[in-house]
Amino acid sequence: MLNEKPTVKSTIKGWLYLLPMLVITITFNIYPIIKSFLMSFYTKYDFYNDIVSAYGFSNFTYLWNDPDFHLAVRNTLVFVIGVVPLNIIISLAIALLLNKIKFLAGAFRTIYFLPFVTSTVAIAQVWNWIYHSDYGLLNYLLGLVGVNPINWLNDPKWAMPALIIMSIWKGLGFNIVLFLVGLNNINTRYYQAAEIDGANAWRQFTNVTLPLLSPITFLVTVNGVIGSFKVFDEIFALFQGSSGPSKSALTIVYYLYEKFYTEWKYGIAAASGVVLFFLILFVTLIQLWYSRKHVHY
Amino acid sequence: MQVTFKDVTLSYDGKRDILKHLNFVIQEGSLVCLLGPSGGGKSTTLMLISGLLAPTHGQIYFGDTDVTKEDALGRKVGMVFQNYALYPHLTVQKNIEFPLKMAGLSRADRAKKAHELAALVHVDDQLDKKPGELSGGQQQRVAIARALAKEPSILLLDEPLSNLDARLRIEMREEIRRIQRETGVTTVFVTHDQDEAMHISDQIMVLHDGHIQQFSTPKTLYASPDNLFVAQFIGEPVINSVPASALSHDLAGVVSDDILSRAQTAGIRPEALTLPQRALDPLTTLHGKVIEFDQFGRESTAKLDYNDLQLISTEMGQLPHNTQELDFTLEKKGFFLFDADGKRIFGGDDHAE
Repeated sequence: MLNEKPTVKSTIKGWLYLLPMLVITITFNIYPIIKSFLMSFYTKYDFYNDIVSAYGFSNFTYLWNDPDFHLAVRNTLVFVIGVVPLNIIISLAIALLLNKIKFLAGAFRTIYFLPFVTSTVAIAQVWNWIYHSDYGLLNYLLGLVGVNPINWLNDPKWAMPALIIMSIWKGLGFNIVLFLVGLNNINTRYYQAAEIDGANAWRQFTNVTLPLLSPITFLVTVNGVIGSFKVFDEIFALFQGSSGPSKSALTIVYYLYEKFYTEWKYGIAAASGVVLFFLILFVTLIQLWYSRKHVHY
Repeated sequence: MQVTFKDVTLSYDGKRDILKHLNFVIQEGSLVCLLGPSGGGKSTTLMLISGLLAPTHGQIYFGDTDVTKEDALGRKVGMVFQNYALYPHLTVQKNIEFPLKMAGLSRADRAKKAHELAALVHVDDQLDKKPGELSGGQQQRVAIARALAKEPSILLLDEPLSNLDARLRIEMREEIRRIQRETGVTTVFVTHDQDEAMHISDQIMVLHDGHIQQFSTPKTLYASPDNLFVAQFIGEPVINSVPASALSHDLAGVVSDDILSRAQTAGIRPEALTLPQRALDPLTTLHGKVIEFDQFGRESTAKLDYNDLQLISTEMGQLPHNTQELDFTLEKKGFFLFDADGKRIFGGDDHAE
């Protein structure tokens, strides 16, 4: 009944419907978040017996003074700035092209989507070969245009660009599909109207496509920024379980992983997680604020 | 601008022709409706005038200039779409200014022109709003202002009223007529609503099956339809169409034998069946039974049975209560005979011949 008043019984029934998802979310999302916040304040922790004997801010002061963590933050920001804008521009360009062709459009969509559904480890193996300094495809192609071989994976200067290129490529498929949906949702009438109003192809793109695509662009950006901040498995797989030559691909999550699993410094690991959380929150809030003005729903 | 179509044919797939050898002239400064059922080719004809579509064969002239190869921009047409197609991210003012911006006018000139047009279409108090905040009628007005902004050679409207509710539709069609008169721009209006077309246009072109069925004034269209399709398409309630043979007994001596022998279908407008005492210009008298009589406000419809055929009349308001059988008059005006091809061979303007 649409006009039913809530009763105790109906409320309990409602909660029962919510229960399965609630249990999973609380166990695997809410509880770990609270726990890691708490853990970031553990300064004396006996993890064999799970006894905390002292709380404090020393984990954060440690991070503040740790050059490795500074490097991790810097690398993460370089990675985000390197991946997200390029990824958006390239995937939008490909989506525009795919939207124009009718022939084999489905086949191309599938091909571009494949990297997204393929395991990161498998992808990294292939890219390991592509990046190989002696037998790699990339150096071979660069050699054709007269560029000397680059030691992509072992040169600290080139490890981060190598990681960024692979991550852009891996993320394209998903964003292309989102952009295609967005492009399809733009009524062709707008283009006809713009054509009659005297807009050429480029001005139709800037005056119709870009503004009407802004909700999708916003979604892709927020999603891409958050995903890139959390980068880990690409590094682990591409550099075979290391953070790259002389830590050149050490990111915040990789730092967290090392502190947690190899050094067993749980408090510091949790503290770096908290820092990442606020970093992402801060950047996302800036994006939300920007979207108020520039995203047209 | 006068628009001339010379033998224009259009096919989308190269096999089936959507428009077949279209020839017509739209006079400068007139308001012409393209009327017809869905899929009849009216929107396609409009797209051909706009330059968004190019004809497969034939030529299109604006005045004396051949514009067949010109695109929409070159032809300088203004267009209003069914869903208005206002840019949702721009304010009303920016929407109206858009064609001017594309033409490279200065900011001040654009603003001045936009204010003038907004005043013309009565949206000058809405300039800073986004289209989403406006009602359908207001959006329609803005769309017209935008189409008029570049002083188009021709204003094209593609089913502009079909997204509005009934009352607003009547208001907006009067508005379109007013704006057209004030600006004097040649206007082509697509609609599938015959009532709309009858009220607004100087001339109506009825399109069906890729052919022009008739191109004339609304009055002529109603009073002397060229063929059965036009007769059935125009008019509410729909014209009574019955086999001519059923009437042959009553028409003998009134209509020449030659015409009667060729007649296939008879068309009788509901107002052409009246009570004998109210008849103006009777052709003959028929006899039938009353099946049903309904009164709706000032309108009434009577369903009559004539030789087992059902006829509808709107002129039986004075019918005495409980009438079972009656003699009724068939008026000359509103009675047509059509031959086997659907062509009119009796009634209408040339019925004197």
